[in-house]
Amino acid sequence: MITVNNLVKNFNNLQVLRGISCHIKPQEVVVVIGPSGSGKSTFLRCLNQLETATSGEIIIDGVTITDPKTDLNAVRQEVGMVFQRFNLFPHMTALQNVSLAPMKVRKQSKKEAEDLAMSLLQRVGLEDKAHQYPEKLSGGQQQRVAIARALAMRPKIMLFDEPTSALDPEMVGEVLEVMKNLALEGMTMVIVSHEMGFAREVGDRVFFMDEGLIVEEGKPAQLFYNPQNPRTQAFLSKIL
Amino acid sequence: MDFRIEVVTKYLPMLLQGMKMTVQLTSIAVTAGTIIGLFISLLRLSRFKPLVWLARAYVDFLRGTPLLVQIFLVHYGLPRLLGTNSISPDISGSIALCINSGAYTAEIFRAGIQSIDRGQMEAARSLGMTYAQAMYYIILPQAFKRCIPPLGNEFIAMLKDSSLVSVIALRELTQSGRIMLTRSFRPIETWLTVALLYLIMTLTISQLVSYLERRFAKDDHGE
Ligand SMILES: Nc1ncnc2c1ncn2[C@@H]1O[C@H](COP(=O)(O)OP(=O)(O)OP(=O)(O)O)[C@@H](O)[C@H]1O
Ligand SMILES: [Mg+2]
Repeated sequence: MITVNNLVKNFNNLQVLRGISCHIKPQEVVVVIGPSGSGKSTFLRCLNQLETATSGEIIIDGVTITDPKTDLNAVRQEVGMVFQRFNLFPHMTALQNVSLAPMKVRKQSKKEAEDLAMSLLQRVGLEDKAHQYPEKLSGGQQQRVAIARALAMRPKIMLFDEPTSALDPEMVGEVLEVMKNLALEGMTMVIVSHEMGFAREVGDRVFFMDEGLIVEEGKPAQLFYNPQNPRTQAFLSKIL
Repeated sequence: MDFRIEVVTKYLPMLLQGMKMTVQLTSIAVTAGTIIGLFISLLRLSRFKPLVWLARAYVDFLRGTPLLVQIFLVHYGLPRLLGTNSISPDISGSIALCINSGAYTAEIFRAGIQSIDRGQMEAARSLGMTYAQAMYYIILPQAFKRCIPPLGNEFIAMLKDSSLVSVIALRELTQSGRIMLTRSFRPIETWLTVALLYLIMTLTISQLVSYLERRFAKDDHGE
């Protein structure tokens, strides 16, 4: 589903990704962990080309998205993204947030798009909040709307960048629950998160990133309890 | 001090004519200025360097030179450039004010657009929207709301600055005041009345702006 070959990303003189290669299978759930500044967000943002790669190759569903000739708007329709700070559109209701892209990008009728949006809001448990503006919603609710918004494009892959780290602790569970259901339904997911319990339960594989490289990867149980690389060990000893 | 009210009443209709011209002139300038300003600000924020430079040159030139000089330049320079006879002051005055207002408005829009969190554009693009769609549906509606107070200030500034076109004998309020003075020889009556008429206009606008601000603030809460 996703193949990354020797991905490098520089910001001016700073090399943030220093040659990442990996392969993610359809329906796989990959959790990315690593210290702050290790390039997790940058890696994720390269996967939908919110950041253009400096060099290397990313192939998603057979399309080489790092090729300058690729239509990125088409690619992004297949790759949903959920942000740490939700980034809901504050001037639109939950329903409008979810139905906008299907209408404007997929050219669905208003009725079609709103029906779809309503069913997605139902799926994340928020059909009663459809006509609320984001500022009237709790963080957990906003993040669930954001997930519904991404799902409305019917993506093949979902990217999550620390989806629960801006939330109050009591709201983390409701968002993880939605993500878990997505995983069970077979969505291919790449998740930057330090929720170890979630990673163990839902993740198929964990990548440990440090200084712009995937230093170690493995099954959650193996990587968390029997890390091989000293840097993984040092990092896990700090957060577990 | 003897203030002769009958002088005021005698010339008031003429001043009101001038006032009407001032309102028209300012409305045209601000409306066209808003369109020009939006366009220039989008160029300024685009990724194409030549367009960015063009937009910057426009803004820097018009904000860095006196409006009075710009009015002269348009009124006396433009006919030479086009090889035509002189232009009527109504036209050249309006053109000068529109162009000038566009530069200030461009900066207002640029600041407004840049004040919107980067995450909004990213969220929109990540859904597959084009840059233009993201601007139109997501960024500009939020930016416009923040631009209302500075646009109101620009409107008021433009209304006052429009008095400068009196130098090319465009009969707006200040020019009407000059005519009243040459006929009545009553400077106090003349300029106090003119000042009062400007004040009425500026106060009206600031009321209007704060009303709009409140309305849009309410919209934000979804009420
Ligand atoms: N737009 C940018 N311009 C310049 N430098 C950037 C930019 N974005 C990220 N960086 C730098 O790249 C490095 C990696 O950032 P990134 O956000 O990918 O790290 P991260 O692993 O997600 O960290 P965190 O856990 O804090 O979110 C950091 O040193 C950061 O300062
Ligand atoms: Mg990050």
